[in-house]
Amino acid sequence: MVERPRRRLLPFDPWHLFLAPLSLLMLLPMVWMVVTSLETEAQTFHFPPILWPGTLRFENYLTVIRGSAFGTWFWNTTVVTVAIVLSNLVLCTLASYAFARIRFLGRGVVYLLLLATLMVPIQVVLIPTFLIVKELGLLDHLGALIVPHLASVFGIFMLTQFFRTLPVELEEAARIDGASRLSILLRIVVPLSLPALATLAVIQFMWTWNEFLWPLVTILTNQDAFTLQLGLATFQGSHQTQWHFVAAANIMSMLPMLILFLVAQRYFVRGIATQGLKG
Amino acid sequence: MDRFRRFLVSDHAAGWAFILPSVVLILVFGIAPIVWGLILSFQEAGLISPEREWVGLDNYVRIASDPKVRQAAINTIYYTVLFVPTSILAALFVAQALNRRIAFVRFYRLAVFIPVVTSTIATGIMFLWLFDRNYGLANWLLGKIGLGPFGFFEDPDQAMIALVLMTVWGWLGFDTIIYLAALQGVPQELTEAAAIDGAGRWSSFWRVTWPMLGPATLLLVVWSTISAIQLFDEVFFVTKGGPLGRTSVVVFYVYRLAFEQGLGALSLAGYAAAIAYVLFLVILVLTLAQFWLGNRIIHYPS
Amino acid sequence: MKRHHLLVIVAALGLLAACTGGDEDGGASTGETGATSGPAGPVTLTMWHGYTDAEAASLDALLAEWNEANPDIRIEPLFVNNDKALQKLTVALQGGEPPDITYQYGSSLPQLAAAPGLVDLTAWTQQPEVNWEDFVQGARDAATFEGKVLGVPALIDNLAVVYNKTLFDDAGLAYPNDQWTWDDFRAAAKALTDPAEKRFGFSYPMDASEDTVWHYHPLLWQNGGSILTEDGSQAAFNSPEGVEALEVLVGMAVEDGSVFLDMQNSPYTGLFNSGKIGMLVTGPWDLSSFPDVDYGVEILPGFDGDHQTIAGPDMWCVFDNGGGRAQAALEFIAWLTAADQMKTDALATGHLPFRLSVIDDAAFIEGFGAAFPGVDVFAENLANVEQARPVLAAYPQVSEAMGLAIVSAMLGEKDAQSALDEAAAQANDALALAG
Repeated sequence: MVERPRRRLLPFDPWHLFLAPLSLLMLLPMVWMVVTSLETEAQTFHFPPILWPGTLRFENYLTVIRGSAFGTWFWNTTVVTVAIVLSNLVLCTLASYAFARIRFLGRGVVYLLLLATLMVPIQVVLIPTFLIVKELGLLDHLGALIVPHLASVFGIFMLTQFFRTLPVELEEAARIDGASRLSILLRIVVPLSLPALATLAVIQFMWTWNEFLWPLVTILTNQDAFTLQLGLATFQGSHQTQWHFVAAANIMSMLPMLILFLVAQRYFVRGIATQGLKG
Repeated sequence: MDRFRRFLVSDHAAGWAFILPSVVLILVFGIAPIVWGLILSFQEAGLISPEREWVGLDNYVRIASDPKVRQAAINTIYYTVLFVPTSILAALFVAQALNRRIAFVRFYRLAVFIPVVTSTIATGIMFLWLFDRNYGLANWLLGKIGLGPFGFFEDPDQAMIALVLMTVWGWLGFDTIIYLAALQGVPQELTEAAAIDGAGRWSSFWRVTWPMLGPATLLLVVWSTISAIQLFDEVFFVTKGGPLGRTSVVVFYVYRLAFEQGLGALSLAGYAAAIAYVLFLVILVLTLAQFWLGNRIIHYPS
Repeated sequence: MKRHHLLVIVAALGLLAACTGGDEDGGASTGETGATSGPAGPVTLTMWHGYTDAEAASLDALLAEWNEANPDIRIEPLFVNNDKALQKLTVALQGGEPPDITYQYGSSLPQLAAAPGLVDLTAWTQQPEVNWEDFVQGARDAATFEGKVLGVPALIDNLAVVYNKTLFDDAGLAYPNDQWTWDDFRAAAKALTDPAEKRFGFSYPMDASEDTVWHYHPLLWQNGGSILTEDGSQAAFNSPEGVEALEVLVGMAVEDGSVFLDMQNSPYTGLFNSGKIGMLVTGPWDLSSFPDVDYGVEILPGFDGDHQTIAGPDMWCVFDNGGGRAQAALEFIAWLTAADQMKTDALATGHLPFRLSVIDDAAFIEGFGAAFPGVDVFAENLANVEQARPVLAAYPQVSEAMGLAIVSAMLGEKDAQSALDEAAAQANDALALAG
């Protein structure tokens, strides 16, 4: 492989000059949250906000965990999120493959109909969705949070686009060999789509984990069904907010997502040396 | 019988079998509520009291003469036009930057993604400080190069731009990981071949990589447009539609009508729904246009 | 396949139910709240509240006390941010699932009046153990809509001046006193402003929300103006008195530059605590956000000796979910808002007592003031609450119009008269629509 030697002006890759400041900018709120989570309550009442740790009260984290139902919230959110992510990976993959590769009657109309659900703001459909969930007897417990989200239209939209970028020759060859649609999907398409699937997992995880409005209106009497976001809100009064606890709780709440991201990164940003599609 | 069996293994049956679970779920939890809302838009209705009165198209007619709707519509268009290209181009650039093997790249990727998982409230607080006229970091930096101070969120003319900056920042990670995933599908042989042919990096990007990002770009354009037109959280938590209603976007206005003003006697929930459905039509038309254009331009390998 | 069919049918039924929900009568039910019919057996009641921190601890303690003494009526709390309480209630009501007791802002009362199942408390207030007349006037008024009592006072605040003593000392200014006029206030604000230090004498909420508006009402009222005409059909705030009142604020903001224009209505607490603002007009809830300031509290300055202030009452609403639950809930509420529990809660949280018997209890007030410096001034200031905001369905829109007027005037975009005139026109439209 011929590679033109490049003259290096700097001892490091010039991209760092862009990425480093960018990262700093991206991390600013996180820095504020970490610093705030370690402060005393009195220190949180400062404007401009303090961005350099003055105190290091790690006890704030313990207070949040022990003084509230943090464990329950965490568990509930985990159950709901894992269920939704897994379900989405399965159902959206199936549906998207059909939309992308199978010509069936009504395909276009149904696809458009699904996309249409993205075009109406949630505030308008909040109440009717609530009524439906109530009729199904799911109110006030985790079922209300899980069932409506088992298949997401964004997931279908995204995977359909990704599947369409895959060269069709491999699948056609397998069809000629008599393979069923399902086995083509599982044995050929899915392995080639790991980046997209990993991305969907991360995105769906993030949306579900952070959801607030829907859990707010469907959990009516059962504080044991609170998710993390609902629990976090208990530190925010109408006139006062205990910022140090909010920050600590937020940081703890963000950790699973960040861990998932780091793990999933391997899939949606594969090693550059192994790029490309080999036959 | 043979015909039946042929049908069973046909594409039609297969297609429907694959999509059925998802479609049923979305039908129940997505379509049905939308129909309910549509019916509401033809009524004069309160949300707290169960009273309903059928008024046909009155709500829709009213939209035409409501100056607040006009302002909200203008604000929304302004926001969308600024947000969509900015966020997508920024993400494209950042994705390219992150798609390489340099030291700390995993840290950089994480850093870019973090705003996406940061709560709107924390983001709001940070940006309120960042853009504060007197104490903010932005004005401090700009002052060093002789610019400003800017009012940002406090200035009726600048608030929307500040909002765009804040939301581009918030969505960058999302768009970037989608582009990153898409970039994995660009066969390295092609870019290498272009390099061998003497193409510069810019030209190789434009001629090889960019076309292959077509599908992802369409996804992001459609998605970003739909999200931008439905902007709500940041307005609700940070600007509250101000100052002086200059960041009041359509969904924010709809929310206020439905939940803050349309309760009980004033019955504005139906009107709010009507506005939402006009918005729906606009989004639908835009999306169809984007798909149509996209399908003409984008090269799908097949 | 069958399972999917079932879901679709159920969904359609749900849809049908939702659409045909319009045949019932709206409005508050005239429940037998004065009668003695209690619950048949033990009940568990759901209580939505937005208390956090010390307030939540105090409530939990009270609930524990009640639950132990009353095993037949068990109260289960559920936390809901007060800002979200109305939205959550709206959704719950649509689904026919309201809580038994809910905490709501007083300003939500007109909207709630039409809620199905809301218990009309008028008869209940006549019961001796409720001691309704013992509640301060402002609290009672705010809980009454069109002659019916629809809520029980839960919390009441008012506005007074909180000032930074150290900044006053540094500037050589005398502290505010109860004879102060708005001219005195304006002069002090100007003296406390220092552009070099980025310090302001005063701060004003500029997010055009109800906060913006209710900070203006006291000036309007003190100057002899009123928000609406007597019959509540037209706006009256653009009178000369109203314009004069607004011009005080505008003068400070535009001419003196002594006002921090808090466009987001949140940095002001941090700024005050960091010594960047000299005076605030706020309520007792903010005091705990100022640990670093040696602050003083004084009643509002006045026009011509009128120092009236404005109160912000919140209340408990009760919904009738059948089975004698409403009666049980009222029994609990009567206990919760009784003088003894009010004192306990006040000492734990700094909440203002709003029963005259408690306010007149000198020993209690002394102890209260010692525990929460400055709060005693707020408690005594309740006596200065003479008027309340109109309890009308159209008030949110009147408020919105006024808010935008105040903000644009203070930004210097419009003069006070034209801003208020424009707002009055919009308000009149809204009032006409409400009929």
